[in-house]
Amino acid sequence: MQSDSTVEAMNAVFRAEVGLICGSLVRMTGDFDLAEDLVQDAVVIALQRWPVDGVPERPAAWLLQTARRRAIDRLRRDSSYREKLQLLTDGWAPDVRTDPDDRLRLIFTCCHPALARDAQVALTLRAVMGMTTSQIAHAFLVSEATMAQRIVRAKRKIVGARIPYRVPRADELPERLAEVLASLYIVFNEGYLGSGPDLATSRDLCVDALWLCGLLARMLPEEPEVLALLALMRLHESRRTTRFDASGALVLLRDQERSRWDHAAIAEAGALLEQARRLGRPGAYWLQAAIAACHAEAPTFEETDWAQILALYGALVRINPGPVVRLNRAIALEHVAGPVPAMEEIDALRADLDGYHLYWATRAELLRRFGRLDEAADADRRAIELTDNPSERALLETRLEPTDIRAIGANNN
Amino acid sequence: MKYVLLLIRNEETVLDDATRATKYAAIDEWFGELSRDGKLRGGEELQPSNTATTIRPNEGRPLVTDGPFMESKENVAGFVTIDVADLDEAIAIAKRWPYEDQIVEIRPVVDHPELSNHPV
Repeated sequence: MQSDSTVEAMNAVFRAEVGLICGSLVRMTGDFDLAEDLVQDAVVIALQRWPVDGVPERPAAWLLQTARRRAIDRLRRDSSYREKLQLLTDGWAPDVRTDPDDRLRLIFTCCHPALARDAQVALTLRAVMGMTTSQIAHAFLVSEATMAQRIVRAKRKIVGARIPYRVPRADELPERLAEVLASLYIVFNEGYLGSGPDLATSRDLCVDALWLCGLLARMLPEEPEVLALLALMRLHESRRTTRFDASGALVLLRDQERSRWDHAAIAEAGALLEQARRLGRPGAYWLQAAIAACHAEAPTFEETDWAQILALYGALVRINPGPVVRLNRAIALEHVAGPVPAMEEIDALRADLDGYHLYWATRAELLRRFGRLDEAADADRRAIELTDNPSERALLETRLEPTDIRAIGANNN
Repeated sequence: MKYVLLLIRNEETVLDDATRATKYAAIDEWFGELSRDGKLRGGEELQPSNTATTIRPNEGRPLVTDGPFMESKENVAGFVTIDVADLDEAIAIAKRWPYEDQIVEIRPVVDHPELSNHPV
């Protein structure tokens, strides 16, 4: 039985080392698919051996040596890779720290826009973070076979279509960075929304996403949206533990115990936002983080600066006029201008958000303000039908009990 | 690495003569640049899909039918073969294709070193 401390020690090693090793092997072999496979093999072997033998003193050297042995095994079996594998077996000098950009190249290759988003996410977690296919499949609630196929397909495309292994030029960077940040935020959200009150998983995706975003911020310190996404993740993380009560039920933002929020992390996020603001015009992540900061910095729910939040949502709608952003803006609008203009906006969004559970939950809450209780109950039932998340279902179900008038809304938790 | 750019257009879109002339001048320049850079390997514009003839397998007696292989508003209107370093370069070239309203599909070409190189 492996202790939690061994698991965390192993995860820390994988985070710190796998991307570096994988990046340098891709550079040496010129074959993303092969190099990534060798490193992944080494990770799988480490996961079997380290809990028994302990984490080695020099884990990076251990992983490299294991990858090298895998290369020799393959060379014996498979002649098609002979030349590339020869590189790794003949006089291989395993100095992976010669090129600090290797890991950055690796991240941009994994998140290339020619790959589907779910493949970008899976490849990044495997090649850069050292997660196994089975761990990724578990985290994203798909079968291991499906995840394995997704990864194999993406790697074939990288090799077959010759997706390059390089850091994008300055003129391409905004577009390419947006892909990386979107993938990272998916990883974080999956960890944040997927985690339950006491769900012990072998990898905490929030920790992984925060770690990688922090690394990106150090590698690209002039990019405001990287800093902003880091701030946004820190702000969510600062109140993660207060999202559930002692019995494991979801607690809404307005009811959370604010004294238990991580106020040091909130202050740090504020400093990141200030730093990002000096670097450029506010982007979508900056605005989302600024909204999260308004919530985080309010001493009580009643003292929330809704006017400021509404203004920030207004700016966000101009950058990203999607219906979910407009739904969140409508909630702020209700606090500033009352339920009537908010309801008009919610009505207008119905066609776009008919299949989104938080649309119906938000609508239900608003309908209760107007005393339209039967319609509110119908909307809540629709929301319950549309969500698979057990914590959200449980909370919505309590609203259908006549004595409980607690409320859930799109940006409330 | 060779790629074929498949140029796909909506055949219901009709351009007036002036617009068409401007577009063709831009296309001429686009081809000129590829050619000067030594990256052009060929390409053709195709007549509309109502001129297409399709041969389908039919139990050993191929069936000749009128029309393109798939009925669609959008059809392949041309193709260009380019030889460039990697997918990023192909993407950059495809993004500069002068018909902004057309779809460009990029397909890497299969390299067959084992086959003889028949002169064209």
